[in-house]
Amino acid sequence: MSEETVLEVSGLEVVYSTSKGDVKAVEELDLSVRRGEILGIAGESGSGKSTLAVALLRLLKPPGKVTAGSAIFHRKGGSPVDLLKVRGEELRVLRWSALSYLPQGSMNSLNPVMRVEDQFKDVILEHAPERKETLADLIARLLDQVGLEPRVARMYPHELSGGMKQRVLMAICVALEPDLVIADEPTTALDVTIQRVILQSLADLRHDFGVTLMVISHDMGVHAQLADRVAVMYEGRLVEVGDVHQIFKDPQHDYTRQLIDSIPRLGRRAS
Amino acid sequence: MSTEKVIELREVQQRFHARGTPDGYLTAVADASFRLDAEPPQVVSLVGQSGSGKSTIARNVLGLQKPTAGTITYGGKDIFKLNRTEYDEYRRNVQPVFQDPYSIFNPFYRVDRVLWKAVKKFSLASTREAGEALIEESLQAVSLDPGRVLGRYPHQLSGGQRQRIMLARIHMLRPAFVIADEPVSMLDAQIRKLFLDILLDFQREHGMTTLFITHDLSTVYYLGGQVMVITKGEIVERGPVAEVMHTPSHPYTRLLLDSIPQPDPDARWTTRITVNESAATPPTDTATEATPII
Repeated sequence: MSEETVLEVSGLEVVYSTSKGDVKAVEELDLSVRRGEILGIAGESGSGKSTLAVALLRLLKPPGKVTAGSAIFHRKGGSPVDLLKVRGEELRVLRWSALSYLPQGSMNSLNPVMRVEDQFKDVILEHAPERKETLADLIARLLDQVGLEPRVARMYPHELSGGMKQRVLMAICVALEPDLVIADEPTTALDVTIQRVILQSLADLRHDFGVTLMVISHDMGVHAQLADRVAVMYEGRLVEVGDVHQIFKDPQHDYTRQLIDSIPRLGRRAS
Repeated sequence: MSTEKVIELREVQQRFHARGTPDGYLTAVADASFRLDAEPPQVVSLVGQSGSGKSTIARNVLGLQKPTAGTITYGGKDIFKLNRTEYDEYRRNVQPVFQDPYSIFNPFYRVDRVLWKAVKKFSLASTREAGEALIEESLQAVSLDPGRVLGRYPHQLSGGQRQRIMLARIHMLRPAFVIADEPVSMLDAQIRKLFLDILLDFQREHGMTTLFITHDLSTVYYLGGQVMVITKGEIVERGPVAEVMHTPSHPYTRLLLDSIPQPDPDARWTTRITVNESAATPPTDTATEATPII
């Protein structure tokens, strides 16, 4: 893992305006993501993990708004841009090709009336029309990367299981070799064996292609299995960031310790 | 009630027509045999991954889907050959809770209707006042405030509240059996625990036996009782929860237990697994399989 930084977030603040005043969902957040790493974002529901992701991706919807901070994004072969300030065409070009998003429950984000291959085409030709000639091979290779057979390309989403749809989305996410993939709860709602296969595929993507991943999950088990570093969020603030071994063996913050202790384990009942 | 309260499945098999499979059929349940006794009240979990056939078994037991082969009996009688009175009694004694707390409610009616329907259909109260009292008592039994849920429409309640309304309905009916198909998979951790505790309460206080269908092993562990592990439509292991989880005998059970991500970065998986997800498997847990509106 290099020390080169892909993303440098500083002083981020996101608020949701309500009739009872503004609610701060993310506060004074500083975080850097290194190229080639898998950074886990941990925290309970409502801690601001997903808000952080959508703010960085510029998908935050009103009444949410970014009120302070910057997020400097270093893309390969391009000048650094502040993700929180880019507009219009510049932002559209960044999406998929430099920055892609695997949303929560992403099995529902495929278009139900398009074949899998057409959904790949949509993304790839929009950003890299020169690949038209080699498209079929590329799709087969991408599907193979996530452990799916080439025939999946001809199928419709309803013919796939939840875990397969999730993997199709993962393959689309890395199709254009983006600098950063943000995955929001990639395994929530999947059963344990499928979850394990998805985690395997995510680790492969990093291992084989050097994809940088930011993985949001409330499940500490997922972070222990996958992440290089873990950032722990609590009530909108980052309480601790560190190497995965340090986080689990020697947590510095009380909340991190509580989070680890609250994991239900077989052999003792959750309380 | 006259019949002996035992549900028994013998060599139940369920096949569906499916495109893209070698013989044009997909076998969802290959061979399932087990019995559920009302006495003593117990929790029996059925655990397996999606596509293993567990939801199909729930639909079979509820009488919503007639198996291709094998029999399901209640008190010794085939549930698909019951007369009207017997079938009513079966339906009263075997009550469902489904996975999706959104799709079971008709969005055009207030949630009260689900409860009043049960009161009327099974003549639980002779007067309106008695019915209201019964509904309020049952809502309180599942930690819902009657004043805050009655008169509301489904979209005004949270998923956890809606699932608990289904539990309130069960509380009113006091069935001998509850068939719960992934009832907590769409609820968050806190509400999930509340739901499971209510179910355990029902077992203790009202003597209900629950068939609990889930893919989540930690839920099974929390509930305790008996567990059956199903894969590819076949029950491969069964026994007391503690025994199956600590000394699993079937390789599939071991795979399931081993696939729970351990919260220890030094104990990462070293082996790789492949999951045979046939593309022809119909999505079992989605909207394509319509949940009946009650």
